[in-house]
Amino acid sequence: MAETVISINDLQYRYRGQKEHALDGINLNLTSGEFLMVMGPSEAGKSTLAATINGLIPHFHVGKLKGEVFVLGRNTRDYSVAQMAEIVGMVFQDFEAQLFSTNVELEVAFGPENFAVEREEIKRRIDENLDYVGLDAQRGRPPSTLSGGQKQKLAIASVLALKPKVLVMDEPTTDLDPISKMGIFEITHRLCKREDLTLMMVEHETEEALYADRIALLRNGQLIKIGPTREILCDVDTLEKIGVMPLGIPKFFKSVGFEELPLTPDEAVDAYRQSTLKISENKFNGIIQEEKADLEKNTKTLIQTKDLTHVYKGEVHALKGVSMQINKGDMVAIIGQNGSGKTTLAKHFNGLLMPTQGEVFVNGLQTSEQGVFKLGQSVGYVFQNPDHQIFSEKVFDEVAFSPKLRGYSEEKIKEYVTEALEAVGLEGQEEEDPFTLTKSGRQRVAVASILASKPEVLILDEPTTGLDYSEQRSMMNMVRKLNENGSTIIFITHHMWVVAEYAKRVCVMKDGDIILEGTTREIFAQNEVLRDAFLRPTHFVEFSHRLGYTFLTAEEMLTCLEGAHS
Amino acid sequence: MDAEMYINANSFIHRLDPRVKIVTFLLTFVAILLFQDPLWMLPIAILVLIQIIISKAYINLRKIGFVLIVLMISSLILWNLFSTGETRLFWRISVESLLYSFARTILMILMISTGMVLITSTRNEELVNGMIMLGMPYRVGFAISTALRLVPTIASSAVTISQAQRSRGLDLDSGNLLERVRKFLPLLVPVFISTIRNTNIFGMALESKGFGAKEKRTFYLEFKMKTSDYIVLIFGIVFVAVSIYFAVMGFGKIEGLIRF
Repeated sequence: MAETVISINDLQYRYRGQKEHALDGINLNLTSGEFLMVMGPSEAGKSTLAATINGLIPHFHVGKLKGEVFVLGRNTRDYSVAQMAEIVGMVFQDFEAQLFSTNVELEVAFGPENFAVEREEIKRRIDENLDYVGLDAQRGRPPSTLSGGQKQKLAIASVLALKPKVLVMDEPTTDLDPISKMGIFEITHRLCKREDLTLMMVEHETEEALYADRIALLRNGQLIKIGPTREILCDVDTLEKIGVMPLGIPKFFKSVGFEELPLTPDEAVDAYRQSTLKISENKFNGIIQEEKADLEKNTKTLIQTKDLTHVYKGEVHALKGVSMQINKGDMVAIIGQNGSGKTTLAKHFNGLLMPTQGEVFVNGLQTSEQGVFKLGQSVGYVFQNPDHQIFSEKVFDEVAFSPKLRGYSEEKIKEYVTEALEAVGLEGQEEEDPFTLTKSGRQRVAVASILASKPEVLILDEPTTGLDYSEQRSMMNMVRKLNENGSTIIFITHHMWVVAEYAKRVCVMKDGDIILEGTTREIFAQNEVLRDAFLRPTHFVEFSHRLGYTFLTAEEMLTCLEGAHS
Repeated sequence: MDAEMYINANSFIHRLDPRVKIVTFLLTFVAILLFQDPLWMLPIAILVLIQIIISKAYINLRKIGFVLIVLMISSLILWNLFSTGETRLFWRISVESLLYSFARTILMILMISTGMVLITSTRNEELVNGMIMLGMPYRVGFAISTALRLVPTIASSAVTISQAQRSRGLDLDSGNLLERVRKFLPLLVPVFISTIRNTNIFGMALESKGFGAKEKRTFYLEFKMKTSDYIVLIFGIVFVAVSIYFAVMGFGKIEGLIRF
């Protein structure tokens, strides 16, 4: 029996000014070397739980705490956060705000310096930990010049330099692109093998939970279920019910009546081969035909780029001769790594950026002749972070901002705002203060504020980042509905399952160019090219590949099945 | 990032001990303030110019070039209005006031330049550690470095925010002054909110890395005074001492200048 490292007894916590408990009756023990994944919807109390481990609660946040948290026998009430830092390391989601130094080495040195570690030892720890996370080559650089993934790696190294016994990571990969996510997960895979380190991670990526020893499911501050990874991941119903994305593979096999559910693509292929399941070629071809016909209906060109090149500050070649077009009625996903040029491309569509070379046409006119104000009328752009645009005290004023600037009449403004709020599912909330809404609520306000000026094209930059599974779903269902009602949609995303389920067409970008373009199915069939662009289709798509098909979702495959499992 | 002033280079000035750089910076200030006559300011001006070239501070000075030009022009005009002399040229301008306005303008430019040399060639940590080793409390030093660090972060979120609002139809370039000021509200509120949010996380991360855990902390950066440091320091002290001697002896004044 391994030694107990963290012990949480009857923990209850309420933030000051809140009526609801953020945590309510949590009992949890973690043993040395264990890896616990904490999952649950937004506002479930995951981050709150993480903050209790190193004493940020009760010392940093103001609120009411009942019950006890012990880490290696230390009651968190009796030790300051700084004192706890010796045994508990904490990595946050926001990789910008947790780095303070102007140089990678000094960032790692910061923690040990606070504990008056000798210079020689600090140097040793810098070498060891930069090597561990793979930032050796960057050691002299200022952190501000690193990519998001490298910053997060640096944050991990800087915390590991304190030689903690417990590492708590609060959504470390949420704001990262797929390749950076993989980099962080690769580190956690190594960390979880370490016997001397107990790992607790809050994460939305269900596929990554496969590496954990146990999973804890939280909702409304309560521990709904905790158990071994396999047991929790096979419990598709509970996951769906509390709003955590279930894996496509167990979901599929459960629907066809399996008792023993496979989890990974390997297991799934074996299970499929041993069953009597069969896929109907006719039905599969039917889906493909239908898709083609659907796209062929969109013939009117709205946006077109010709040899579009963009160079930042005369040195960074962000776009290298992109030629593409977007038709009325399209629902296009633009995918690729950070720095591949996705956002730069999209910002040309509404005139925020002008081509260095080449041309961009919107509705047949060059963007350089139209300007942001005029283009904004036909091409709406929803930025990634709603907090970068919300400034009003009332939802109504926020949404009415754009139509007002465009000089619509009072009645028209009212009508447009009402319609926009209906479209995003916020009807009747005109008088609310947008700052009190949840992240997904604020995201919706941001979308509504763009919709209210009635653009033909809607560009959404990472609309699902930072939302939980059910919020992501309802956001994308809303976007799909807008598309069905005639809006042309362009969205940038890192979430492969969102692409698989919602995009009709996909553009894959790499190093400033579109390397692949086609229907979502065609794109996901190109495993090699995707891997080249460091993109990874979901486990479920991978599983269907191995059977010789490209199914985007479990539901789709179900409709094409012949012969049932007995 | 644009608001970042430190230039990652390895010049002679970059390699100097930060303490020496801070002391030299202060000495330069003294030397600049000693003389009224622009001719007498020439030696220190040349020294600062050499510093600007070696440290590559001209890259940063070019960035604020517009502000510098505006300052220069207004200083050249204003000091003529605030002083006069015996040798009238025309209107309120005299030879003495003209000289004086030149001197004041050079003084201002030199002060900005020498400050720029310091922050171009010295990392945040070095600057703060240098100040601490010269006697400043650690927490004060850290607060200064954090404030410096926040500038580029705020600048970059301000760029994103202005793009977001322009996409919604906000036009910052038209309207009279009052209208323009009001148009900044949609920019200021999100900048404030996101800065406050960031600072909150910053505080958490800071404590989580053991900030203030122990009374004493160590410093990884090691400062050793090299021969070149001593040479620069001695040269600086001698230079200022000689300058003070001449100033006390009454050299470098503009004869017949009357200030208001």
